[in-house]
Amino acid sequence: MGVPARRGIDAREVTAPLCRLEDLAEGKSRGFDPLGEGRDTMFVIRRGGRLYAWRNHCPHYDRARMAWKKDEFLDPTGSRIMCFAHGALFEIDSGECTLGPCLGQHLTAVPVEIRDGQVWVTGVYEPGLRR
Amino acid sequence: MRIIGPDELIFGVDNISDGRAFLVDYGLDETDSRGDEGGTFEAADGTAITLRRRDDASLPPPLPTATLLRRTIWGVEDEATIEAIADELSKDRDVVRTSDGMLACKDDTGFEIAFRVTRRRKLDLPAEMINSPGAKPGRGPNIVGANEDAPAKPRTLSHIVYFVPDMDVMANFYIQRLQFVVTDKFTNTGPFLRPQANLDHHVLFMIQTPPYMQGIEHLAFHMQGPTELMLAGSRMVKKGYESFWGPGRHKFGSNWFWYFNSPLGTHVEYDADMDLHDGDWIHRETPMGPEQAQMFLFENVEKWMPGGPPGKKD
Repeated sequence: MGVPARRGIDAREVTAPLCRLEDLAEGKSRGFDPLGEGRDTMFVIRRGGRLYAWRNHCPHYDRARMAWKKDEFLDPTGSRIMCFAHGALFEIDSGECTLGPCLGQHLTAVPVEIRDGQVWVTGVYEPGLRR
Repeated sequence: MRIIGPDELIFGVDNISDGRAFLVDYGLDETDSRGDEGGTFEAADGTAITLRRRDDASLPPPLPTATLLRRTIWGVEDEATIEAIADELSKDRDVVRTSDGMLACKDDTGFEIAFRVTRRRKLDLPAEMINSPGAKPGRGPNIVGANEDAPAKPRTLSHIVYFVPDMDVMANFYIQRLQFVVTDKFTNTGPFLRPQANLDHHVLFMIQTPPYMQGIEHLAFHMQGPTELMLAGSRMVKKGYESFWGPGRHKFGSNWFWYFNSPLGTHVEYDADMDLHDGDWIHRETPMGPEQAQMFLFENVEKWMPGGPPGKKD
């Protein structure tokens, strides 16, 4: 059954870059709100010269938000993604939960690419807020 | 057994400063700072969250799951209650008297618990003051209700919720051994429990989960009322903290709620205006679901007004 998107926001291609590559600090995470929903619905981690982009949805609960504060998606060691709802830990590169309530489940990847030094989401992007 | 409710929760974390920033912004007062080693963060009545480093040797061993909760300390009315609990629980487990005067053991699902004569200070504070037609005014003339600068401080530790591998084992321990009372129940999820010396709808709730999820699901402090809850939650959002669920109003317990993620790896909730029950109450039961969990649910959005300044809309 189709559910109307919140406040008229539909899935669509993202027509603006998330940021410049140089705006992403090595070893850090940063949240983004590509559709202007008012909340970060995805995040990007830059590590070892690569970008890893995931939806801000813990697989434990439907649309569970993960950070504890704006842009804070990593555990204190910076080596794993952490959901601060219940402490689940995820591998940064595979998105697999290795400890916690969603053990063995995976985060949802967001395809991103770098064009002219800017970070772009590729393809159609679904709204992320609860409707 | 005259158990009142949770007195203090102890967490073992990797980053004390993140936890400190969160708990102070949440509205607790740091009363025993140990710098990088931790701190104790109190509500108005002295109930508290304590942070220690994950590898602190004074902490009981962690559960093998992701939870960072290391011990739940229950406050009781008097030494006689401590003695009664010691007699009851020492029948089938090791019960230890700690150097700081607590009775410590594990519950039947492996959570580290302890009991002490409560540190709660008696509060004498006003309720939220409202004006309602037909009722005596809560606020007299010229007393303004919408005060953005009003303090919004948690008053007392309200309740905790655990993920448990066996809700029957868990519930029976608290009901049969510690004389907690079931106030309401979500079928196949778990009961809401209140202890003998507290009329609050619940101080303990549990959610049945697989063993690898065992831990704390959330903790909550009582606020003055719905307005203070909104004020405190709005300030958290403005500071960049992640609202997880709320604001809204639960059905069971009637309490207003607003949940936030936290660096303690658990939701930390503001609640307000919970039902009270005594021995005459007959518990209700329903399957758990969104319709049963809340009477209504809102979501914080950016401030807006009709006919507001141009240039904001697209």
